[in-house]
Amino acid sequence: MAALEYFEVECPEPLGGEYYRQITNDVLLDHNLLKVIEKLHIYIDPRVPVFVAVGTLRKITTIVRVRDFANVNPLEGKITLVISDETYLAPMLKIFWETFGKDHVEQPDRFTVMLYDVKMDPKQIEDMVVADPSESLFRDLIYAFRCVAPEGFRLRSEKFAKDKFSFVASENTLAEDIDALVVTKFALIGVKP
Amino acid sequence: MTLVPVTYKGGIYQHDIIMDLIEDLGGYIVQKHIIAAEVVLQCFVPKDDIELIRTIAKPIFGEVTDSPLVGTEIAIVSMSLEIHHLPHPSCDIAEYVRRIGAKSNMVSLARGPGKRIAGLNDEERDVINEHDVAVYLLGNFETCIEYKMPTLRRGIEVPIVLCGGPDEEALRRIINPPVEGYVGNVGRFMRRTKEADQLDKLDEVVAEITRVVEKKRNDIAKDPLSVSPARLMDLIREKVPAILDVTSPTPLTVQMRGLRVKLPYDTFAAPLRAIEIEDGIKLGDVAEVAPSRMRDYILVKILPFSETNTVI
Repeated sequence: MAALEYFEVECPEPLGGEYYRQITNDVLLDHNLLKVIEKLHIYIDPRVPVFVAVGTLRKITTIVRVRDFANVNPLEGKITLVISDETYLAPMLKIFWETFGKDHVEQPDRFTVMLYDVKMDPKQIEDMVVADPSESLFRDLIYAFRCVAPEGFRLRSEKFAKDKFSFVASENTLAEDIDALVVTKFALIGVKP
Repeated sequence: MTLVPVTYKGGIYQHDIIMDLIEDLGGYIVQKHIIAAEVVLQCFVPKDDIELIRTIAKPIFGEVTDSPLVGTEIAIVSMSLEIHHLPHPSCDIAEYVRRIGAKSNMVSLARGPGKRIAGLNDEERDVINEHDVAVYLLGNFETCIEYKMPTLRRGIEVPIVLCGGPDEEALRRIINPPVEGYVGNVGRFMRRTKEADQLDKLDEVVAEITRVVEKKRNDIAKDPLSVSPARLMDLIREKVPAILDVTSPTPLTVQMRGLRVKLPYDTFAAPLRAIEIEDGIKLGDVAEVAPSRMRDYILVKILPFSETNTVI
């Protein structure tokens, strides 16, 4: 977990806490969220039972443009795009269809897209924004923490802001003073409310 | 004649020689898988003839290995079908157990997860009881396991092997009355078991299940069954041709004390009871033919010698 500045799992059962550390690591790694989170503190008490995750987020400025995953080669009235990563191929095609029309866009194989009779400058095509991963960030984070938290803990309270987040879950109704607990956990990572 | 469970692995070429040999020796083939050009036979063969099979299989590069779990149906009880428990560790364990010959079924509980909210309904209880062994896969916290285990084991009559995150001593300490088997340090995890230490853990689970199965076999041997389940399987396959049209991977699943017949109970219960085994003794005389809680299958429970006074 080298990408995180701070990562702690607090649990009255040391072995259980260690397993949850592993689970958190695996889930965040699988969902590609390690780059996004700066600090993370998890508190689990199976006796209550309650699961609290608090953390701070890094600023994400990674807008995906065509040039990030494709080479644009203009040649004799047509522009050939050689795709190196298929992840954003579908949204890119959708944008091309909307901008140039389906008649001008052709995809002869998985890694090639051809544009015919397109007036736009190849540089402009390279700069076209295809996706903004930060749009789905909160959704991804909530999903990831749902996977990390014990499954029976179905009553949840999630607060996600631009720079910090808290995720609380329990199988019982959340206590009225749960916010105070969240504040103390935030204090551990140096965040004031 | 003592029949022992073994697995034969070899090429598809001339594998019928081995099949004929096993049948001629008085053994039974419980499952046959053809995977590409490889054949895997899970079978019961006479103990004294294993070497003979090995000798005959040698020129065709066949291998005979001990598979203590052949002829058992094992319930892998997973707390839910959510991403939290599947595919790791539930599927990993179910698959691993399958490799050494057991027929494993995943039983997932409707309200398994949680501590206070965990529960077991009557259908789940009955389905688990239809198996030979139940492997409970619980979570990582001692507190939760201690709290929910009494609820989850209520009404379960088959031996339980308990897998959980705490170490084995902790599991032994918190479970009262004790269950038949414990495997510690196998709780909830979310990564594929492929490293050597993880595979060692799976081996540990299998070793514990094998130990429990062997103990159950010894118990059965004290009051032997009136007829061998594998023999009944062969007989049903011969006398009830409808079983050949069932597309399930194991239309007849051999268990330690009986077998599951994957045919509708209403239509086939009476013909099954009427099957003559030997000398006028019918299947209905030495076994109980009951409806299974699993779909509309039939469960044949073979009665012990002490109840029928016959062994055939």
